[in-house]
Amino acid sequence: MKPNDDINEEKLSGQLQRLLVSIEASRRAVLPKSNDALLKSIVEAAGRIFEATAASILLVNEEEQVLEFRVAFGPSERDLTGTKFPLDKGIAGYVAMTGQPIATSNVQEDPRFNQDFAKSTGYIPNSILATPLLSDDRIIGVMEVLDKINAASFDMQDMELLGMFAQQAAMAIDQSQQIENIEEALVLGLQRLATADASQDSTDLQSVLDQALDQKSRVPELMELADLFYDISVLGEAERKACLQVLNVFAEYHRASTRRFR
Amino acid sequence: MPEDSLRPAWSQHFTPDAIQELLADGPLARLTPNWAWGDSTGKGVRVAVVDSGVEYDHPALDDCVRGGVIIEYDAKAENNYRVKPDNKPSDVSGHGTACAGIIHSIAPEAEIHSVRVLGRNMAGRAIQFAAGLDWAIENNMQVVNLSLSTSLEEYFGLFHDLADQAYFKNMNLVSAVNNIPEPSYPSLFSSVISVAAHDGHDPFTYYYNPNPPVEFGAPGIDVKVAWNKKQYLTCTGNSFAAPHITGITALIRAKHPDLTPFQVKTVLLACAANMRREGK
Repeated sequence: MKPNDDINEEKLSGQLQRLLVSIEASRRAVLPKSNDALLKSIVEAAGRIFEATAASILLVNEEEQVLEFRVAFGPSERDLTGTKFPLDKGIAGYVAMTGQPIATSNVQEDPRFNQDFAKSTGYIPNSILATPLLSDDRIIGVMEVLDKINAASFDMQDMELLGMFAQQAAMAIDQSQQIENIEEALVLGLQRLATADASQDSTDLQSVLDQALDQKSRVPELMELADLFYDISVLGEAERKACLQVLNVFAEYHRASTRRFR
Repeated sequence: MPEDSLRPAWSQHFTPDAIQELLADGPLARLTPNWAWGDSTGKGVRVAVVDSGVEYDHPALDDCVRGGVIIEYDAKAENNYRVKPDNKPSDVSGHGTACAGIIHSIAPEAEIHSVRVLGRNMAGRAIQFAAGLDWAIENNMQVVNLSLSTSLEEYFGLFHDLADQAYFKNMNLVSAVNNIPEPSYPSLFSSVISVAAHDGHDPFTYYYNPNPPVEFGAPGIDVKVAWNKKQYLTCTGNSFAAPHITGITALIRAKHPDLTPFQVKTVLLACAANMRREGK
C-alpha cells in the first residue's frame, strides 16, 4: 500500500465519521426516532380502561434473544424501560414464543412466571393479561396489563379488548421501525457511495451531503420514500418480490450506465 | 353507547344474556347428544393438534399420542419450511399439550398426532401453520384442532384451498377464532367449525350461534389444563374452547364413521345446549 493511499483512506474515514455523526444528529432533529410518546399513551389508556395497576410494552430483540421493556408504568421501584430478560422466560416470553395471548389469575403459582425478575422490581403481581404484538404475523413484542384493581382476574372480553390496543401499538412500532430501517438503508447507501469513491479524492462528499441534509425538502422526500417502502412491504409476498425485481433492474441499469460513462 | 362499542365481537354471542334459544325441528329433533356420542370414546379417530407440540409422556395424556412432525421455518428451503419427524413429541410452550389434554379428556381413545408449528422463531409462522395443516391433510387425519389462526391477507387463498381440500377429504377442521375481532384464517371459512369461549365449565355444554361467522361457544375461561414439563395450569382463551369441540367431534366420528364434515356440523348444531326440542 502506498503512503498516498493511507492518507486518502484516513481522510475519507474521518470524513465519513463526521458525515455519519451529522446525519445522526439531523435525523434526530427532523425525524421522530420512535413513537414512544404514542406507545406511552396507548399503554396508559389500556391501563386505565382495564383498571390495571401496571401495564407495559416489551419488544422482541431477535439477535440477543431477549424481550426488552419499551414503555412501562406501574408501582415498580425502578424504571423498567430498557430492562431485558431472556425470550424463553416469564409469561411475556411465553406469549412471544407462541403468539398466543394469555390471562392468568394465580401468577405466583404459574410455572411460567419469572419470580426472580418480579422480585427484582419490587412488585409481584397476582394477575396478568398479556397479548402478542403482531406485524404481518411476525411477533414483534408483547403488551401486558397487570392486576385488575376491582377483580381477581382478567376475562375473555378483556383479552379481546387488549388485543385491539395491541394492534394500535404494533402499528405505531411498525411505522417507527420502518422509518428507522429507511434511515439505516440511506446511511448504508451513503457509506457504500463513499467507499466506492475511495479510489478518487472525494473532498466534495462532505459538502454535498451537508447541503443535501440542510435542504428541508429532503425530509418530505424521505418520508415519501418511507411511505412507499411501507406500502410495498405490506403487499403480498409475490408483489414484494416483483417490486424488488423492478428496483434491482433499475439499480442494475443505473450501475451499468454509470460504468459506461467512466 | 360507549359500553356497547367497547364490547369485543366474538365472545359476545356466548354471554348468558346473548345466547339465543333455537328450535330443533323435524328430523333435527331426533339428533340428541345420546344418539350423537353416547358411549363413544373416540376410539381410533385420528386427531391432529397443530400447535406448539404435544408432550407425549404427560400423565394426563395416557399414551394417546401417536407421534407427529415438526414444521420448521427455513428461509433457504423450498417453500421456506422443512418437515421433520417427531416420534416422541415434546412441547416448546405447553399450549399444544393443553389442547391435547382437553381433547383426550373428552375422547380418551382418540389417537393424537402432534404437528408442531409454533416455537422459538418469531417469523414465518403463517407458512409453518399452512404446512402443518397440509401435513394433516396428506396424512389422513380425521379431525384437526387449530387453536391458532393468521390474519395475513396474503394467506387467505392458501388457507381457503387447504380448508377445501380438508373438507373434500372428509376431515373436520376445528378452529379457535382470533382473540380480537378481525378476520383470521382459516377460522372464518364456512367449511371450518369455528369456536369461541364461554365461561361455563361442563365440557359437554356448548352453544350454537346463529349469527356466524363464529358458530360454536365452548368452555374457555379458567380451564384447568395439562401443561408441558408434566405440569397443570388454569388458562383462559379461545384456544382452550376449540379442543372441547374437537373432542366431541372425535366422539361423533368414532360412533358414526360414515358422516361427512357437513353432517357432523349439523349433528353438533342439533346437540348444542341452546337447542330446544318440542315438548321439552
